Amino acid sequence: MRKANKAIAMAMAAMMALSMTACSGSAAETAPAETEAATEAAAEETEAAETEEAAETEEAKEAEGVLLMATTTSTDNTGLLDYLQPLFLEETGIDLQWTAVGTGDAIQKGKDGEVDVVLVHSKAKEEEFVESGFGVERFQVMYNDFIIIGPKDGPIEKTEDIESVFKQVMDEQLVFVSRGDNSGTHNKETGIWDKLGIADYESNPNYISAGAGMGDTINMTDEKGGYCLTDRGTWLAKKADYPDMEIVCEGDANLLNQYGVIAVNPEKYPDVNNEAANTFIEWICSPEVQKLIGEFGVEEYGEPLFFPNAEQK
Amino acid sequence: MKISNLEKQMGDFHLHIREMNLEDGLVHGLVGSNGCGKTTLSKLITGILTPDGGTIDYEGLTFRDITMTSQKPYLLHDTVYQNLIYPLKIRGIRPDEEEADQWLSRCGLLDKKKQYARSLSSGEQQKLSFIRALIFKPKLVIVDETLSNLDPDSTELFEQLILEQQRKRPITWITISHQLVHIKKICDRVHFLERGEQLAEGTPEEILLRPSHPAIRNFLSKTEVSFRGD
Amino acid sequence: MKQLFSQFFGTVGVLDSIRVTLIMSFWSTLIASVLGIFLGLLLERKDFPGKRLTVRINRTLMGAPPVVIGLLAYMLLRKKGPFGSLRWVFTIKGMVFAQVLIITPIVCGMVYSYAVRTAPAIRAFARTMGADRTQTGRLLIREMKNEIYFAVVSGYGRSISEVGAVFLVGGNIKNNTRTMTTAISTLKGAGDYYEGIFLGVVLMIMAFAVQTLADYFRKEETGDENF
Repeated sequence: MRKANKAIAMAMAAMMALSMTACSGSAAETAPAETEAATEAAAEETEAAETEEAAETEEAKEAEGVLLMATTTSTDNTGLLDYLQPLFLEETGIDLQWTAVGTGDAIQKGKDGEVDVVLVHSKAKEEEFVESGFGVERFQVMYNDFIIIGPKDGPIEKTEDIESVFKQVMDEQLVFVSRGDNSGTHNKETGIWDKLGIADYESNPNYISAGAGMGDTINMTDEKGGYCLTDRGTWLAKKADYPDMEIVCEGDANLLNQYGVIAVNPEKYPDVNNEAANTFIEWICSPEVQKLIGEFGVEEYGEPLFFPNAEQK
Repeated sequence: MKISNLEKQMGDFHLHIREMNLEDGLVHGLVGSNGCGKTTLSKLITGILTPDGGTIDYEGLTFRDITMTSQKPYLLHDTVYQNLIYPLKIRGIRPDEEEADQWLSRCGLLDKKKQYARSLSSGEQQKLSFIRALIFKPKLVIVDETLSNLDPDSTELFEQLILEQQRKRPITWITISHQLVHIKKICDRVHFLERGEQLAEGTPEEILLRPSHPAIRNFLSKTEVSFRGD
Repeated sequence: MKQLFSQFFGTVGVLDSIRVTLIMSFWSTLIASVLGIFLGLLLERKDFPGKRLTVRINRTLMGAPPVVIGLLAYMLLRKKGPFGSLRWVFTIKGMVFAQVLIITPIVCGMVYSYAVRTAPAIRAFARTMGADRTQTGRLLIREMKNEIYFAVVSGYGRSISEVGAVFLVGGNIKNNTRTMTTAISTLKGAGDYYEGIFLGVVLMIMAFAVQTLADYFRKEETGDENF
């Protein structure tokens, strides 16, 4: 009975052998795309495959290595990495790939040596990462800021004072939607509660811990007519969808969101692509790229999403 | 074929045949009430079950010479024709389509040759199972209650086929049936089983007409058919 | 065409997600099916101490939450884990690995269930037909073909709809290990619900297409069975 199975398996495996090459990297996907089209459900593939082919030859993958990065979902959502990736590839030949997870998870991946470089926005965690010996050195890259958004004509008046806003939320038991997912944004929020000495902010019956990404959280906030803490970048990208909300608080020093990039220590994990990591760090801190970062989003949203502040040596 | 001290435990039921003679080339009938072990015995003979103890001396027969038909036969998910020639394919024999057609028309199944076998009526399925058993020229055929629910014409047909076969080239048959008329008509030997044991074996007259064993008398008294005359 | 997609789906990498989904689901389904069918038939055939327990464990695994298996797979595959040297984290191979862990019990359980009901009769029949071991094996596969197909197609369905495990092991890396399902998840997380639904519909159309294809190859022999 195994014979029949094996015969079928081998016949198909022989046909699909090419497609496996696509798994190990991003190089040369034209052949697999075609083979796939022939053997899998024929109809809808051909169109996709042809478009794929065209796209692949466009990008002309001659990658000189892959740089694997762990970063946060909010960073990913801003689209900055999508913007920088092809530029980095063109200049250095290195293919930047990233997995976007929560801050804690991203740092953990660095500690586990699963990635070559980490880009997050949680200074305390970043410093701990370096201290632990798994990160080489922390370089600040850029910052953006957090804002509080909420309903237009809502109970909270526009202000620059974040602490007063939080106090009002507590006192008046206003609806507040938290990321609740231990992300950088979430940590920023809890940090403010901490600073105010308000430990029982969850006792507010209208405090919602969403356990969700930023875009999702904003959506929930709108649905519930409440307030939430968000990074400016995500808000700029999404605000057209939420005409009933506006920025209620911005500009407080507490609301700064500093991004740091750290290479994973090759002494701990000799096989990480440390060279590429250092190339990237140098590149993203270089004056030219810093300028690009500062201009990112202006065309689309009328204001920049980030403020570059890498230390120039 | 000789059976000695054959034993098999199936749940609560215990089969123990001390001695049974199944002479070559004769039609043997297995009779007894339900649960007496007829089906268990036939499964042991065909090798579907393995005995716990004792031996079956096949006297040179192999499993490829033995076949069985049953009341609810297993049919392949395929056409009538494919079902019929399956035993030939197993043995690497090229099927002679003409011969197969003859078998089919004998049973009135020729026009259903390409039909999905499982859509046949139960009587037709039994007939198919029967000719399937004969097509490869077996040496031992066990007919397990196949005739039980058949209409009289079909029963007649089967009996004719058996008797024809015996005239042409006698093979060994074991027919399991409740229908004593049928047993008397075609069997050369009768074996009476009760509660997993063979109580008697002999000619139909010996066993059914002049039964010595009280259990057999008891059994006969419960059946409606009187055994005197036809 | 690509422009159209990019415009609508933004930068989530839809075309690549389709490619990744296809490659991954093909291999997951293939490997899980071969293993599952073999194990399912073996389980039906053999009796051994602890068989009841094994069947029960299999049943449990059939319903195991994929995200839990995914986390387990991640921990096996990470550098600190026993299979770390394979470097399968963040690769399609790793995702296939996780999916095989999820889908094999399902195929195995389905094949086993069906075999328990039908294999003994098929074996008895094969015996009375004089079939030897190999012929019996082939007969079993042939006669159980439809149910085996069904189990395989079910396995495929699970593969393309799975999101938790492939997210954990693959890392949802755009153009590399982002599947259609994790792309939908990403779209949702970014608040792009309509785009997510649209991609979901594309996914379901693909699933439907495969079902149609499977039906086409599976010759419909079932007439009305006489019971």
